[in-house]
Amino acid sequence: MAVDITTQLLDPAFMTKLDQLALVSRKIFAGKLRGERLTKRRGESVEFADYRNYVVGDDLRFLDWNVFARLDQLFLKLFLQEEDLHVSLLIDCSKSMDWGEPNKWLYARRIAAAIAYIGLINFDRVSLYSYANGLQSELTGVRGRRLMFKAMEFLTGAECDGQSNLPAAAKQFAIRHPQPGIVIVLSDFFEKSGYEEGLRFLLGRKYDLYALQLLSPEEIEPKLAGDLRLTDVEDDDVAEVTVSRALINRYKHNLQAYCRQLKEYCTRRGVSYLFTSTDVPFDQIVLSYFRQRGLVK
Amino acid sequence: MSFLNPAAIAIAAGLTIPPLVALYFLKLKRDVKPVPSTLLWKQSVEDLQVNSPFQRLRSSLLLLLQLLVLIAAAVALGKPMFETTDVHDSTLILLIDQSASMGVMEQDGMSRLEKAKEQAKIRIENMHDNARAMIIAFCDRAIVVSSFDSDKRALVRKIDSIEQTESRSALSEAIKLAEANMQNMFISQADGTDKEIRPNVESATVIVFSDGRIEDTDRVSIQRLDVDKLQLVSIGQRGDNVGIVAMAARRNYEFPEVLEVTATVENFQDQPITLDAVLHVDGRVLDVQTLDLAASPPPSAPEDATSRERIGDHRRVVAFDQIEFGGSGIVEVVLRVDDALSADDKAWTIIQSPRHLRVLLVTEGNLFLENALSTLPIDVVRLTGSEYDEADDSIITDGNRSTYDVVVVDRHATARLPQGNYFFFGTVPQLDGISTGKTISDQVIFNWDDTHPILRHVALETLQVYEWEELIVPPNAVSIIDGETSPVLTYLTRDASQFLISAFPLIAQDDDGNLLMNTHWVTSVDFVVFMQNAVQYLAGNLATTGRDSVAPGEPVMLPAPANVESVSIHRPDGVVDAVSVAGFQTLHYAQTRQVGTYRLEPAVAGHEFFPINLFNPVESMVKPVSQLSLGAGSVESTAASVKVNEPAWSYLLLAALALLLLEWIVYNQRVFV
Repeated sequence: MAVDITTQLLDPAFMTKLDQLALVSRKIFAGKLRGERLTKRRGESVEFADYRNYVVGDDLRFLDWNVFARLDQLFLKLFLQEEDLHVSLLIDCSKSMDWGEPNKWLYARRIAAAIAYIGLINFDRVSLYSYANGLQSELTGVRGRRLMFKAMEFLTGAECDGQSNLPAAAKQFAIRHPQPGIVIVLSDFFEKSGYEEGLRFLLGRKYDLYALQLLSPEEIEPKLAGDLRLTDVEDDDVAEVTVSRALINRYKHNLQAYCRQLKEYCTRRGVSYLFTSTDVPFDQIVLSYFRQRGLVK
Repeated sequence: MSFLNPAAIAIAAGLTIPPLVALYFLKLKRDVKPVPSTLLWKQSVEDLQVNSPFQRLRSSLLLLLQLLVLIAAAVALGKPMFETTDVHDSTLILLIDQSASMGVMEQDGMSRLEKAKEQAKIRIENMHDNARAMIIAFCDRAIVVSSFDSDKRALVRKIDSIEQTESRSALSEAIKLAEANMQNMFISQADGTDKEIRPNVESATVIVFSDGRIEDTDRVSIQRLDVDKLQLVSIGQRGDNVGIVAMAARRNYEFPEVLEVTATVENFQDQPITLDAVLHVDGRVLDVQTLDLAASPPPSAPEDATSRERIGDHRRVVAFDQIEFGGSGIVEVVLRVDDALSADDKAWTIIQSPRHLRVLLVTEGNLFLENALSTLPIDVVRLTGSEYDEADDSIITDGNRSTYDVVVVDRHATARLPQGNYFFFGTVPQLDGISTGKTISDQVIFNWDDTHPILRHVALETLQVYEWEELIVPPNAVSIIDGETSPVLTYLTRDASQFLISAFPLIAQDDDGNLLMNTHWVTSVDFVVFMQNAVQYLAGNLATTGRDSVAPGEPVMLPAPANVESVSIHRPDGVVDAVSVAGFQTLHYAQTRQVGTYRLEPAVAGHEFFPINLFNPVESMVKPVSQLSLGAGSVESTAASVKVNEPAWSYLLLAALALLLLEWIVYNQRVFV
């Protein structure tokens, strides 16, 4: 069963390639449990961090006897603690995501599955959230390869519904998830109320934030003609248009401007902005693009 | 640019454009298309609208193109014309010349009449839809081909029905007819009610389609029409023509079996020409003569007809002498020339067999007359007045016609006048419309027609008559010798009879009953020549000249054969007309618009054929004129060049098609963006 669910989003051959990858955080966070990542916290790893004066009660095993021999003073060797990393994926499951060929929703879940897999095999603490008008469902704190099937089950079972509201979802997420870590938002970012507020909530928690914008080819190069009554799948809003070359050009121009503004907004605030069209092969995005952008190594 | 039907534009545009625009603005049928987000679409539409104040219209190039297509089609419905002539005339009268000169074949292979019809049709096509037109064809007579009508197709059909004739052209009758019809048209619109519609005759535009060779321009009087609206469309260009303008055939006085044929040939072109004139008798070529004709002199203004008629280098008489021909038949002179008009290249006359004429002299005794007749080569039978009146029909008549070639009646009033040829001296035939008035004794011979065959070789300068009776004769009588107030010698025809009436008797009785000479003329040789001419003329043996020949279009009167219901007349073109003669002594025939010889079957002996000749220098002068002088030179119509109002609707339809194509391309571009 677990294999079946997993296979829908990730095939075994691809998973083998993912085994060699690990998520990279541009920041070093303190984890909850010991993991495989160095943290700011001093711990019991083999990585030397610093010295400090011995105080009564310290573990005598960490005294540096060579220094004591030379200086006749007791110093305690401090090592970096290796802890786990919190990786949270916020996946937009509003109706607008269930669109395009290849489908944005499937594409987003496959990316989420790949990232989750990478996180799980590296003993990172992976949390999955789907959001629309607020957080819809979540799978928090899974760790280790054996829980991969739970993550896949979550992703497979999630459905698109409702209207996107990133600020509400981000606010809920920030309250419920105070731990630092990597937060990846997968969305088309078509927010009628604006994406800025939502991102601001996430920035407040000093997450290592990634914004991954997914658009389908139909959104990038619309194939529309004639006099149309365009209805928004999320809120049934109507736009009456007479499609002309000028209008198409204007739409493309506006789309580029919208994406560029999002990118600038993200860059200015230290958020990594990634953009992809769903017609780009999925494995290429994960293996090549994410590596280039430093999300995985 | 003008429009023949401007109302159609408003109607078509009003019916189509508002619904089109309304449909575009209402956008009743929009395809519903779901999209992930309308966020960017709304923004894009707003951007475009903000950037352009008329974006709603401009954004839809299709609407613009469709509007243009509709406008082009609507304007085309208004029948736009590139205006070169005034198409706003509400009343048109087209006068189309169908005379002989219009038969000239122009360089492009079309006859002038065909060209005139084409021009007339173009003018009709260009006519305003509300306008009316009347079509009159004219030659020697004018006929209304179509009364006032607005139906262009019907008018064009009527124009097509106009046929070529070989008659002379006379405009005055056509103008009168047009004026009369103008009057009738408006009166008939009152249709019996008291409502009176004042005719606006001044507004009628009269267009004459002709080569301008019109005989009676000086007799045209325009009374009701607007002279300023009279136009001439001058048809044709060719001027090369040589024609026979007169012809005569006579038997030699001394040798009746010898024929003398003369024909007057005139060169009407401005180049000298050498040609052969061929004499045919009964279809056989008997003689050929070569003629050198100088170029026609330039016309003096105004056209001086009499100067043109003088024999000169351009106008020569060709004489065929010593032609041995004893029978009766058709004498034909043919010019071997390839010129513009063929109708005047041939001339015909009928020659009868030589024979002794039988003359009946009805007199109580007239020595001079008997002597004069006795010197002539004729058989004379003499009867007194009472003998004539009482004689048995078998002596006087053969069927319904006189057995004598000529009956000379001397001072005897009689009503016994079977068909025949009569010469009355001192009295008149007892027929309606012919009578005598008071006796005239104080007048002199005033004038005479010395070109008339009867007066040929007769000197009248010394003629003195002491008294004569005033002659009251019908208007168709031809006066040959005139007194101051009354004709002295007159010629008239009635049915199939000819009457030559001399108002004076040769001898008169005084109060005592003594016979006196009424004129000393009886003692001169001129009187004998005169009697010879008169008898021969009445018997039909004198040469027929151009003046006496029947012109095309003129009616012919011939004796009708007895006991026959109808007579078939074979026209030169082979068409056979049946003319009913049952109960009539005379046959009237008017379908003579073609030159040539007409054959009758059955016919009275000696009248089997009759010729129709053009003999009309005005028609033979085919070079078209560009200016018509009407009336007494006071009315002139400027020459109108051939103007064509080109219809513009075809260009508009082409533009509409091009726009439609463009619209199709734009539509497809939108589909594949």
